[in-house]
Formats: sequence, structure tokens, C-alpha cells
Amino acid sequence: MMNKKEILKLAKGFRGRAKNCIRIARERVEKALQYSYRDRRTKKRDMRSLWIQRVSAGTRQHNVHYGHFMHGLKKENIQLNRKVLSEISMHEPFSFKALVDISREAFPGNRHIYHRPRKVDMSSMDA
Amino acid sequence: MASTSSTLFSLCSSFSAHCKISPTPSLSKPLSFTKPNFASSFKLPQKLAFSSSPSLPQSATVPKVSEIDAPAVAEPAATQIVEVAKEDEPKREEIFAVVMVGGRQYIVIPGRFLYVQRLKGTNVNDKIALNKVLLVGTKTTTYIGKPVVTNAVVHAVVEEQGLNKKVIVFKYKKKKNYRRNIGHRQPNTRVRITGITGFENYPAVTLDSIAKSS
Repeated sequence: MMNKKEILKLAKGFRGRAKNCIRIARERVEKALQYSYRDRRTKKRDMRSLWIQRVSAGTRQHNVHYGHFMHGLKKENIQLNRKVLSEISMHEPFSFKALVDISREAFPGNRHIYHRPRKVDMSSMDA
Repeated sequence: MASTSSTLFSLCSSFSAHCKISPTPSLSKPLSFTKPNFASSFKLPQKLAFSSSPSLPQSATVPKVSEIDAPAVAEPAATQIVEVAKEDEPKREEIFAVVMVGGRQYIVIPGRFLYVQRLKGTNVNDKIALNKVLLVGTKTTTYIGKPVVTNAVVHAVVEEQGLNKKVIVFKYKKKKNYRRNIGHRQPNTRVRITGITGFENYPAVTLDSIAKSS
């Protein structure tokens, strides 16, 4: 990020004069680089959160909560990480069901599942 | 959840669409298929290449090739080209494994390549055996390792030892005249997976037993 040419190259796609005029572009590019430094760290957090959401959705289809599922896996010493678990839950449903079954046996708390009453859409009913 | 009629490998293509590893570049085809991979930008710290699946558009390539060549060439030649294009598609084993390399876990299928952390002490075209196999899945059975599937080995060949794309590390403190600009390229190794073996004698979970328990 030394000379003007490099800064303007980094400023591609910016709004207004920030992509053309060096004085404004320099500020915006500096800010962009700061954000990228910060967000390389937050990306890891966001990704993990996404994977957990996906695994949770997958296990709830089998009536198992995410926390219980992970507890069961740790008890069984299965060391698959959340990234891979989320991929398996999306594309390999039968392998995922096998994992859920293993976890269910390892963690007895899974047996008592209370199903929340589903909300019914009232708009279709007559007044 | 996929329907019960779909197999573990419901689509090699759909799997590859989300899998972060790149396929074998097809030998004779000038056309390249790249699917924008939404997860590729997400998956960290894995460095990903675009995933493209030569296996998916098998039906799509064939008409393309024939369209290009048919007007210029006589019909018997066009049919020959179509057949050659079909045969060139490598038959892929329908198996996948989860392997741990460089502190990270990857889903791996034979025939594809993968960027991993730099493996010290290896050279190009070295055969590599990856031992930490956490899960192996085929069309009908899954072998879930606790934590590792014993005696399972993923064979791979080192293709290239390069560097990742440059990342600019820019540190800045406002009003204090502090600016540091550092470029960083993480060394990586590109590795092509050739096969997955050694998992047969492990207790497996089969499709029938899952269907029964559901």
C-alpha cells in the first residue's frame, strides 16, 4: 500500500470519489484494511456459529438438541469438528442419522423430548 | 433431509458443489465448469479452490461438444467425439472420508485435490499416507471412528508446494501516527487424493440398520 497506484487498485468498487480521488481513497482504503484485519478474526467466530446453527437444525429434525448431541459425541470420543458435522448434516443424511443415534445412546437425557406445541396460523380460520 | 430413496451419495455433483476441494481437471475438454461455492468464502482457515465437478455436467458437456463439432465435421466423426468425451470422464469411487491434516479436518474424495498446511520434508510427486481418518462413508455404510477409524489410510500425492494468496496485515492507531503495513503469504501444499483404504474391518453402520431404527 505504498504508492497511489496500489491504493487505487485496492479502492476498486468503492462508492463515489473514494474509488477515483487519491486523498479520499487513501482514507477509505486504510479503513477497509483495518476492517479486514478485524474481520479475519470475526470470520472464524461467525463460521463456527453458522456451523452450530446448521448442526442444530439437523439434529432437531431427529428430535435431539444440539447441546445433547455434542455431549453424546464427546462421551463417545468422536472428534469430528463442527465444520465437518455441518457438511455431513447437509449432504450425508444417513451418516448424520448414524451419528445422532450414537449420541442418543450415549446421553440418556435425549430420551425425554418435549415437543413444543407448534403455532398454528389463525389467518385462514373464520372470524 | 434427503428422501429415503436417495443414497448417501445423492449427487456427487451436489456434494462437490459444497465440498471445498477441487476436482481433477478434465483432460481433453476445453470447457471448464466452475460452480460458485458459497461456502468457499466461509470456510476458514481452510484455503479453498473453486469446486467444479466434471462428473455433474456429463449430460451438459456432451451436447456442447457435439454442437461445436457437428456443423464443421461429418456426422460419424461427431458421434465419435461424443463417445470420447464420455469415456474421458474418470470413474470416481463413491466414497468419502473425513481426514485430519495440519490440525484441520477435511472431507475428502478420491480424485480431487486439496490445499493443506505446508507439509515439511515432502517433495513434489511424493506419495503420502494420511492416517488420521475420522470417518469413512460409502454408498451403503458409514464407519464412524472413535476417534479414528483403525487402519484406515487415505493415500495422496503431493502436487505442488506453494503459497496462499497475499493477505495485507494493516495495523493502524488513530491520532497516534502508528501505521504498519505487512504482507503475508501462508505456505501451503496442494495434495491430490488417490484412494481410501483399510477401513473394511471396522464396525460399520449400514443403511438398513439406520432405516430400521428410524
